Amino acid sequence: MRSVLAIARKDLRLMFRDKGDVFFTFVFPVLLAMLFGFVFRGAATGGSRIAVALVVESDSRIAAGLAEDLAGDASLDVRRVTTREEATDGVRDGTFTAAIILPQSMQAGADRLFSGGSIPIEAIIDPVRRAEAGLIQGKLNELAFRQFPKLLADDAQSKRMFQSMREAIAASKDMGAAQKLAAGALIATAESFVKSMPGGDAGSKPAAGGAGAAWSPVQVRMQELPPRTGVPRSSFDVSVPQGMVWGIAGCVGAFAASVVTERSRGTLVRLRLAPITRAHLLAGKGLACFVTALLVELLLIVLAVTLVGTRVAQPGMLALACVLSAFAFAGLAMLIAGFCRTEAEANGAGRGALLLLALIGGGTIPLFFMPPILQTLSYASPFRWAVIAIEGPLWRDVAPAAQVTPLVVLAGLGFGGFAAGSRLGAFRDAR
Amino acid sequence: MLTLRDIRRSFGSTTAVDGLSLQVQAGEVFGLLGPNGAGKSTTIAIATGLLRPDAGSVDLLGLGSPADAEVRRHLGLAPQEIALYGELTARENLRFLADLYGLADARSRVEGLLAMVELDARADDRTEGFSGGMKRRLNLAAALVHGPRLVMLDEPTAGVDPQSRNRILELVRTLAAGGTTVLYTTHYMEEAAKLCDRVGIIDHGRMLDVGTVPELLARHGGTAGEASDLESAFLALTGRSLRE
Repeated sequence: MRSVLAIARKDLRLMFRDKGDVFFTFVFPVLLAMLFGFVFRGAATGGSRIAVALVVESDSRIAAGLAEDLAGDASLDVRRVTTREEATDGVRDGTFTAAIILPQSMQAGADRLFSGGSIPIEAIIDPVRRAEAGLIQGKLNELAFRQFPKLLADDAQSKRMFQSMREAIAASKDMGAAQKLAAGALIATAESFVKSMPGGDAGSKPAAGGAGAAWSPVQVRMQELPPRTGVPRSSFDVSVPQGMVWGIAGCVGAFAASVVTERSRGTLVRLRLAPITRAHLLAGKGLACFVTALLVELLLIVLAVTLVGTRVAQPGMLALACVLSAFAFAGLAMLIAGFCRTEAEANGAGRGALLLLALIGGGTIPLFFMPPILQTLSYASPFRWAVIAIEGPLWRDVAPAAQVTPLVVLAGLGFGGFAAGSRLGAFRDAR
Repeated sequence: MLTLRDIRRSFGSTTAVDGLSLQVQAGEVFGLLGPNGAGKSTTIAIATGLLRPDAGSVDLLGLGSPADAEVRRHLGLAPQEIALYGELTARENLRFLADLYGLADARSRVEGLLAMVELDARADDRTEGFSGGMKRRLNLAAALVHGPRLVMLDEPTAGVDPQSRNRILELVRTLAAGGTTVLYTTHYMEEAAKLCDRVGIIDHGRMLDVGTVPELLARHGGTAGEASDLESAFLALTGRSLRE
């Protein structure tokens, strides 16, 4: 066992010190997964502007002003929809990043603005779009503040607001008679000041760090939709398994060449002289490949969860799928290693075959986008089974019975690869 | 220590080793000399168990063939081509081999060897940046990491500077003094004359003669103690025609 671990540790060191192998095994798949994810997401949401559904339930002036400002904002692609349900469905199916609802209670909130009230705005977001949620919340606060000059310039609105304040003071039990009198005088002065103001300036903004910063007259309530099952929650659900495919392909390519590299650098002689068997050598190299493939999968899952909000539907099953797919590809690496007698064979034919298998196995075009003929061909690719095994517990949330076939195929590929590889030329030379 | 009996090995129509027999005694430095293509490397490969002979037998320490992993454990080889991992440091290279052999005292063994080949100051440098002489010294240390009783050195001084060459020869003498048996191939006659207790000269896959340097010189016309005379004896045995 110690010799197996020594070979694995040495091969991992060699792998991590080869910049090319590290790039194609770890960096390239991450870039690919992120790139595909953002490209597909951009396509779904109409480019770099954030697609937002807007439901205007309030017929107040502040709601109208806010809707107008939202529609005119360059960073938002606002589409008016009539009901909350329609907006929610649009967020759920990915048509919109978020839904903004200007509720009927906006008017009441505006009326009680200086007597403990606030203007309510609701937003519904997909949990996987949290990155945009913060931006939308900030945008809503900014645009809502812009409505205040209009609010104060509106006679009827300001009358209702000051009346509401007077009623609140009159009803207060904490204030003494003198305090109520003083507060009433203050309100009267403020009302005179507002009346003396010229027309509202819709373009003005609250001063940074001014009253608006400490006081929150706008209450933006963000509501996350419950996680969806059975459909990709975002383009990253699809692109992350694709990234894994390319990471594993890079890993297999690196380790498939390692036996012939040992031969060309002369170190195979040392391995053959050591008191180890062919099985030890195969196990050591296979273990290094397995660990690397597992690290690639783990890296992509961690990045997907932390950076783009991917939610894993079945963590335990996903762990099993990752372990078995890493095992399958370690076996495949050993099979290719057994076939190849020269570095040229390993780097040319070996990597070429992997590239082809990755392409038809869902590495570039997601399996469900493939035409029927390619879907049929993909059954021959081990990458297909890895993608299916990983997508199942990642976002498809399939029943355990549906996971059995891909997992059994992966386990079979692993055992088959190790068994066949050990009987082929390169390993046979190694005793 | 090592016995090769009537070894034969062909590659296609080319006979590389043709009925070669050889006996290396425990504790001696045995020089195996021969022109290029004489069959030295094939003989070494068969003696280490890396290559199976078509006929004949190999016995190491009376334990049997080095094809057996347990027998092979007593054998060390410094191949002619440097066999090191360039991306690993000197220490990592030796430590890997120590772990491969399952040595309990791997750490102290590695540190001792690094000091012995005077690479302890460069132990944490990747070997790809080493000079030819440093690589040769480490290649030798790698053959010794598991403390073999017989070590085969295949042209260990090829392409090194005089300082490294001198250090390698000192190391071989130290090994022999410590009881390690050495099978040494070289093209340098003066090395063989200075270092080897006995010398075997092979050509065309056959052992032409075996003996101490004075014995060879006596039989083939040289004068004892002079390196150039061993070369004369070598040429007398193998001929003067070019081989490449």
